[in-house]
Amino acid sequence: MTIREVASVHSGAASRESMLLERFGKRLVSVRTMNWNEVHVDARNKEDVPELCLYVRDELKGKLATIICSDERRVSGGFVLRYAFDIGHGEDIFVIVTARVQQGDAHSPPAFPSIALLLPAAALYEREIKDMFGLIPEGNPDARPLTLHEHWPEDVFPLRKEFELRTKVANVQNRDYRFLKVEGEGVSEIPVGPVHAGIIEPGHFRFSILGESIVNLETRLFYTHRGVEKLAEDLRLDQVLLLSERISGDEAVANSSAYCQAVEKVAGVVPPPRALKIRTVCAELERVYNHLGTLAGLSTDVGFAYGAARLNFLKEMMMRLNEEVAGSRLLFGVNRLGGVGIDLPSEKSRLVKDTADTVLADFNRIVRLLRNDSSVMDRLRGTGAIGPNDAAEMGLVGVAARGSGLDIDTRRDHPYGAYRSITIAPHYDTPRQVTEHEVEMANRRGDVRSRFETRVEEVVNSVNMIGEVLWNLDNDTELLVPVQMENLKPFSHALGYAESHRGQTVHWIMVGDEPDTLFRYKVRTASFANWPAIETAVLNDIVADFPLVNKSLDLSYAGNDL
Amino acid sequence: MIEMKKAESHHDILGDHVETDKRVLDGARSAPTFRGDVVFAKPDAQPLDSELCRQVEEVCAPKAITSREVGGRLQLALDKGRCIMCGLCEEVAPALFEVNSRFAQPVKRRSDLIVAQASGKAPDGPDHSHEKLGRRLSEKITKFLGRSLAIREVDAGSCNGCEVEVAALNNAIYDIERFGVHFVASPRHADVLLVTGVGSRNMESALRRTYDATPDPKVVVAVGACAITGGVFGDTYATSGGVGNIVPVDVYVPGCPPRPEALLYGLLLAVDRIR
Repeated sequence: MTIREVASVHSGAASRESMLLERFGKRLVSVRTMNWNEVHVDARNKEDVPELCLYVRDELKGKLATIICSDERRVSGGFVLRYAFDIGHGEDIFVIVTARVQQGDAHSPPAFPSIALLLPAAALYEREIKDMFGLIPEGNPDARPLTLHEHWPEDVFPLRKEFELRTKVANVQNRDYRFLKVEGEGVSEIPVGPVHAGIIEPGHFRFSILGESIVNLETRLFYTHRGVEKLAEDLRLDQVLLLSERISGDEAVANSSAYCQAVEKVAGVVPPPRALKIRTVCAELERVYNHLGTLAGLSTDVGFAYGAARLNFLKEMMMRLNEEVAGSRLLFGVNRLGGVGIDLPSEKSRLVKDTADTVLADFNRIVRLLRNDSSVMDRLRGTGAIGPNDAAEMGLVGVAARGSGLDIDTRRDHPYGAYRSITIAPHYDTPRQVTEHEVEMANRRGDVRSRFETRVEEVVNSVNMIGEVLWNLDNDTELLVPVQMENLKPFSHALGYAESHRGQTVHWIMVGDEPDTLFRYKVRTASFANWPAIETAVLNDIVADFPLVNKSLDLSYAGNDL
Repeated sequence: MIEMKKAESHHDILGDHVETDKRVLDGARSAPTFRGDVVFAKPDAQPLDSELCRQVEEVCAPKAITSREVGGRLQLALDKGRCIMCGLCEEVAPALFEVNSRFAQPVKRRSDLIVAQASGKAPDGPDHSHEKLGRRLSEKITKFLGRSLAIREVDAGSCNGCEVEVAALNNAIYDIERFGVHFVASPRHADVLLVTGVGSRNMESALRRTYDATPDPKVVVAVGACAITGGVFGDTYATSGGVGNIVPVDVYVPGCPPRPEALLYGLLLAVDRIR
């Protein structure tokens, strides 16, 4: 980062600081910028949070990135809520609204004002906080449990500090979970899951149907809840890295990069340029193999087995390449705190480049096949549509957002790794290509076809990006900068982020008393942000299109459930 | 973006609808860099340095490496049912551990996954191509069942890494159906339950019900470190420390995740159990 760039980041943050101070003045304890791009706004009173959040959304054009709760009763006498907003729009800034919630007593449990009715995207975070911390979101219309299913006792809050990680909680029988009931002549229900027919992860879907059309869909998730966040508080920093790779196996690089960046930010460490580039190459390799898998899945779900077989073949080629590069078919073990654990010597870079180019050439032919096949394209067109307003309201990220015409991409809005120096936007050389691109963008209606086209475009871009980064791979051999434990001050915190193939992933860490531990690890993967979209997307579609819509959104259950 | 379709040569009668050229992917090897198995480098190393033992125990996140004193000598044991193949032990103590590119061998008994250092150099894992393994599997299935082997995959709280590998069995390279193995949509049709994941608390009753719905004789294959012991997720409030604590397990397939060849090998053992 050059001096000028640092200055520009600060000027953006400073102007946000002064806007907030001018508007809220004495109602704030402090406004300060930390970790280059985080503007922390500390509210004096938790009742001001709704107004602050609305201001950040409407005036500062912020998009809710995550809500972090942490049990800091031992440190500061209460629970702390942090609402992180992504400003984006060409400026690399996050605004984080902080508020404190005092511990309640036996009669009145701790509570905070809900913002779910103002920012619908916040609804799920608040329910999660209620389950895991026992804070009541006052005004959230949905009081049902989310993470902890009905067989958990009501007074168990795993993320509170007094809860022991290895406690075995007894099942209770007296609670139940009410699905929304649609009533009327001819309306019936189809329950599906949690064990599904295909080789996929567990989740429950409750369809209300009228004839063949879906009138309502409710998803019930968190079957794969493995206690990732609580477990992280019990592990050392380097062990949490291995854990972060396994939050969602197919996003190993994205999740571990986000985690590493958060730790590196706290420690004030910048990995060597070659390490950043290798991280970036691996992140793009991950994007390519997963997009190929998703496109193959779309092809399967419309009954076009030939296209699926061809695309899965390419996915397998990419996974074998992963094995050559990282020793793992899922790219486990790429990242280390302060750098990377693998190298790309010139013969390996050549292998990566050659394989990626071969795959791309074949990919282009298959895509032409799919596009020319009306039995494929007719199923995709108009199916599972999410309008741009809905997408913005629900706070969608990644391919789902871009397919609905929202122009967001963490790689460009908050450049990390080597993305600062490479071309992210599709690069078009001729006026004709530019026009074609504009026509294509205008055609994006948030349907399955749009997401199909978005993914196709990203595969092409990723392969080009890999080529570009490999071409500029530095000659220095340094791959790792040690993270000095004494630089990790107790209770210092930072936000790490990455764009996985599903979208923006945000990890927040707070260092514990011992510098080698974590006090709190909050993970929000793209899947958590995008899951609500499916309930909207399938409305008025037929039941048979559900797998198609589901696949087009490519959501991870494990990444959502943690 | 529709491009004009044009016949490029006389044999391109089907236009852009089907291509018929042949693609070959050599499947007989895994990359030398692949972290498939961890073994003891020298079975009978000199008396162990207690400091080094502490270091390797500490570096192992899933606690697969343990040391204990036997007759006044420190001895190391490695539990492959916990190992997530991160390879950090080799980095800390290359004299003690060695990462192997052959996949860790699936077994029928849990205790066979725990290797003590003094037990001599462990035999190297099988290095079979999927073709060879698949043909053996196919012969065995025909001999014992006289029909296809039906598998139901159950994710009981995995990170979806194992799902990626199980799904890969169905792609055109492994193409497991040609060996007479069929993934079915319901446990009621299944001979084998392929269970992945930690056995999360929220999946416990669903897994139990799936098991009950599967007709006898049934075989349960625990796939991956998580299903065997909880792997990196361990035994916590949200997990059960392995699906073996929920349903009886017949075959253990170690790995994080096990590669498709290892899954084929696991199925080979599963067919034995049906017999």
